[in-house]
Amino acid sequence: MSGVAKQQGKQMTQKRNLKRYLPLYLMALPGMLYLFINNYMPLPGLVLAFKKFNARKGIFKSDFVGFKNFKYLFATKDAFIITRNTILYNVIFIIVNTVLAIFVAILLAEMTSKIKKVYQSAILLPYMISMVIVSYLVFGFLSTENGFINNSILRPLGKDPVAWYMEKKYWPFILVFVSAWKGVGYNCVIYLASILGIDRSIYESAAIDGASKWQQIFKITIPMLKTTIVMLTLLAIGRIFYSDFGLFYQVPQNQGALFSVTNTIDTYVYRGLLELGDMSMSSAAGLYQSIVGFILVLGSNLVVKKIDPDYALF
Amino acid sequence: MRTRDERNFQIFAHVIMIILSLLAVVPFALLVISSFTDNDTLVANGYSFTPEKWSTYAYEYIFKTGNSVMHAYGISIVLTIVGTLAALVLTTLLAYALSKPDLPGRSIMLFLVFFTLLFNGGLVPTYMVYSNMLKMKNTFWALLVPGLMMNGFNVMLMKSYFCSSIPGEILDAAYIDGASEFQTFSKIALPLSKPIVATIGLFSGIAYWNDWMNGYIYLTKRTDLYSVQNLLNRMMQNIQYLSQNSAHIQDAGVGLASIPSVSVRMAMATVGVLPILVSYPFIQGNFVKGITLGGVKG
Amino acid sequence: MRKKIVSLLLTATVSAMLLAGCGSSAETAATTTDTKTATDTVEAGDTAAAGDVAMQAIADRKAEAEKTGEYKKVVISFFDWTGRPAGLDRVNAALSAHTEETLGLDVELQIIDSAAYGDDMKLMLSSGEQVDLFNTCILGYSTCINNGYVLDLEENNMYADYCKGIQSKIREDYIDACRVGGVLYGVPPIKDYAIETCAVCIGQEYLDGIGYDVSKLPVGDLGYPKATWDDINDIYAQLHEKYPDKHVMATQDNILTQGSSVDNLAGDYYGTLLDPMNSLKVENVYESDIFKDWCQRTYEWNQAGYISQDALTDDTGASAKVKSGSYMAMMACCKPGYKTQISGECGRDMVVFDVGESFMGSASVSQFPWCINQNTEDPVAAIQVLDALYTDPVIENLMCWGEEGKEYQVNADGTIKYADGVDANNSEYYPNVLWLMPNPYVAYVWEGDPLDLGQQIADFNDNCTCKSKALGFTWDNTDYASEFTALKNAYDEYAPKLVHGFVDPETGISELNEALKAAGLDDYMAAKQAALDAWAKENGIQ
Repeated sequence: MSGVAKQQGKQMTQKRNLKRYLPLYLMALPGMLYLFINNYMPLPGLVLAFKKFNARKGIFKSDFVGFKNFKYLFATKDAFIITRNTILYNVIFIIVNTVLAIFVAILLAEMTSKIKKVYQSAILLPYMISMVIVSYLVFGFLSTENGFINNSILRPLGKDPVAWYMEKKYWPFILVFVSAWKGVGYNCVIYLASILGIDRSIYESAAIDGASKWQQIFKITIPMLKTTIVMLTLLAIGRIFYSDFGLFYQVPQNQGALFSVTNTIDTYVYRGLLELGDMSMSSAAGLYQSIVGFILVLGSNLVVKKIDPDYALF
Repeated sequence: MRTRDERNFQIFAHVIMIILSLLAVVPFALLVISSFTDNDTLVANGYSFTPEKWSTYAYEYIFKTGNSVMHAYGISIVLTIVGTLAALVLTTLLAYALSKPDLPGRSIMLFLVFFTLLFNGGLVPTYMVYSNMLKMKNTFWALLVPGLMMNGFNVMLMKSYFCSSIPGEILDAAYIDGASEFQTFSKIALPLSKPIVATIGLFSGIAYWNDWMNGYIYLTKRTDLYSVQNLLNRMMQNIQYLSQNSAHIQDAGVGLASIPSVSVRMAMATVGVLPILVSYPFIQGNFVKGITLGGVKG
Repeated sequence: MRKKIVSLLLTATVSAMLLAGCGSSAETAATTTDTKTATDTVEAGDTAAAGDVAMQAIADRKAEAEKTGEYKKVVISFFDWTGRPAGLDRVNAALSAHTEETLGLDVELQIIDSAAYGDDMKLMLSSGEQVDLFNTCILGYSTCINNGYVLDLEENNMYADYCKGIQSKIREDYIDACRVGGVLYGVPPIKDYAIETCAVCIGQEYLDGIGYDVSKLPVGDLGYPKATWDDINDIYAQLHEKYPDKHVMATQDNILTQGSSVDNLAGDYYGTLLDPMNSLKVENVYESDIFKDWCQRTYEWNQAGYISQDALTDDTGASAKVKSGSYMAMMACCKPGYKTQISGECGRDMVVFDVGESFMGSASVSQFPWCINQNTEDPVAAIQVLDALYTDPVIENLMCWGEEGKEYQVNADGTIKYADGVDANNSEYYPNVLWLMPNPYVAYVWEGDPLDLGQQIADFNDNCTCKSKALGFTWDNTDYASEFTALKNAYDEYAPKLVHGFVDPETGISELNEALKAAGLDDYMAAKQAALDAWAKENGIQ
């Protein structure tokens, strides 16, 4: 290629770039502007975590106290239990909910009958109900004297009723169950959308090659979902130090006997701050959870990037 | 052989889905039945599928006390429709731009989006932005804008869909044909993305419908702007507060005497979910349409 | 370039936030200096003419309103159970029409429902919105002080100059009870500060069922039968035998709050006065006989089958449980007029057995005082309104009951009742929080209550047999927030089982104490003791 032609080509790409990218930036603008207002403008408020808030002085002029507001998160022997519970439950939730959601999404996607609409609405139903109401429903099933399980299942079978809210051994299962029960509809919708985005012709040619339904699922569908799975898992890792307050506080009815398996960072903090009403301390707790999640997700993202850059978050 | 395989799969799928649906519906049925149970019966006998004494008093209480539930339904519907449309526009446009691998600054923008998923400035600074700087307090904007209009999670989801499910070649072909970026987006990318648009629309819709936090924080004077969830949530929390503190605050119990406290919260949950249930088949209709369109693309 | 834009954007936000923050604090600084100079000149002039100062302030405001054509507005916040009343704008207009005359300003009531009051107020007070006067119930008086929300009422001699009315209505020791670190941040609503502990309420029909003769018991000061725990146990045993299908008692986590005269210093039971009338020694109530006796009692009740097996998890209020008909008794604390109240709550005639004694704890007066926002534009206007809330029957009637003829009508005997065609459900203004009102006893008395209810309550307070020596002690525990959080978690883990009698006190109590000690109870108590000693020294209490 001659120099002149090269020069012309370069000019053309530049021109094309500008012509091409300007609309894209314009498209991104409203969304980025919203994030700026909604998420970034309040962000300097995070300094509150390092201050003793005083309304008279305002957020930025309140006295600086260093890491004092974080102390209560680590001060006692409970620190280990609440951190362990928070992480372990989140890991289990990530695995169980992902597997279950993909499983259900595949079944729904492959079903031919019109009834699948009904199924889909049904499993999304629990997602609409708030955790407080869920906690009452769980109580309806597990209450010692009037509970559905004790009265209508165990007693007729001649078994002794169980004081569910006193026996901590059942609760890891109950919590995982409730979490899956409430979340599977939501997660399944996400995967369903991804599955429906897969080119049907791939399946058709696989079918012609004699691949069975299960083979198609394992050889085509699941590999095609990998991007979504990796992305959702990475995002979930970012929130691994957070826990669903309603699930861990309201569903077990704040029962002391269950604390060793239900107490998480959020519930622990809540019990103290409810009465203390200290904004700096709650801000500190949130910042701690965010930073740990942030580090973890950056780390995992790096690993993912090493393996296959296409799957990385950014 | 293929048909038997197919038939077995379908039977298997039905069995599993029937079990899962029952698991979801049975507790919900308990919820509805409890809301029609006499309050004293509930306190005495607990929740039951076959209550001793039925009553509609909880509903009478909800519909007669305080603000009009019907008016609040109206607010909720307008809010959900406007909010969902706004959310879809913002999310789709941003996600589409972010899905272009060669866009300069893309990874910084992606990081900025991701960052909002983990960090937030906290309630008080957010409140100051919306209330003091943008003066949204006690307006409809306060229900619509804060927190709900777009979230990073949905942007990431949609961006990932654009990346993986819309072949770059199709878009490139469109450029070669002289289509502008907006044309490619609206004529080619969007139609191919109906499943994810429907999904994000569903999520935003549910988020708007179920939100009570914005009204809780930003509406102190305009009770006429209460959405259904707002109204119900306030009623429920007031009852909760009364019953839990009647031991500590003297006279608190006076207000409690006439409230069917247990059945009313079940009735509130029912009143809050019912419209979604009614309108869901309609939403789902569009969702399924998205599926077929998405399906034929190839 | 890219980086530049990003950093530019970030600086823009930071500075925007800083401006927002600075703006409000600068404003406050300005106003405080203004008022300072103003009062300085007044003080320099003549201190004897304090009453004139108040009149002068009102005259000045009126003059200014004449000039600008607009009255200054004072916003008063409190809560109710059902949210902003429909008729609030009308009541506000009536209030302002009156206060423009008497005080030279407008008054706006801002009523928020109890559900949102705590959070909404915190946001408004933190962000500098206009709220001038507010009640600290739900928010917590000490939380408000710790967060710097409230104004020192005695700043620039305001309290002395402008609160003549409050000074005449509230005894000085009750005012002093609201001082924290010597500073007066709020004034208490006039109400019953004392409680009569251990009021066991049992349905009349059940007592009739076992043929129990209440008249054989002596009658206490409040006119209720005086009983001992042995009497109660005896009744419970008979009730259980006669009605085996019903639960005897709806237990609550109130054995210390309503069932004892232990003083929960500074609002929590981690470090208490066991003998608050005679000693200022901070002790651990959970190791005391008082707690042990109670746990033993509930444990025996539970063993005997008097208590529901769901007592720990069922969060329905005790009176709602009794109302449902499957529970027969509950315990609360009582005061004059309690029998009518509890019978209403329980939906049946209740007999109130007076098992305890009357008690006034250290925090009873300072539970939820009325305060002025530190950010208020015109502290003098705010405090003059506060004073009027305690003395002006017109204001207080509007605030408690709404408008005459619209919400209520006056009976021949001077009591009031609903206006024609109005009831609790359709009234446009019926906050139903009389106990929160600054001084409901300058307002009308509702039908059915004695006309001298105010006097009765005052006597009840004055005659209280067990008044805590620490009355008025308050403590800022923010430096011990880690311990407090850990203690609360330990309490929630081990105490409710004991309180409802699900574990043998022999083992349960030591478990609880071990957990509390591990959570730092000793340090927490030592800090409380030190604060109490300092307070006692300052106030000359032995």
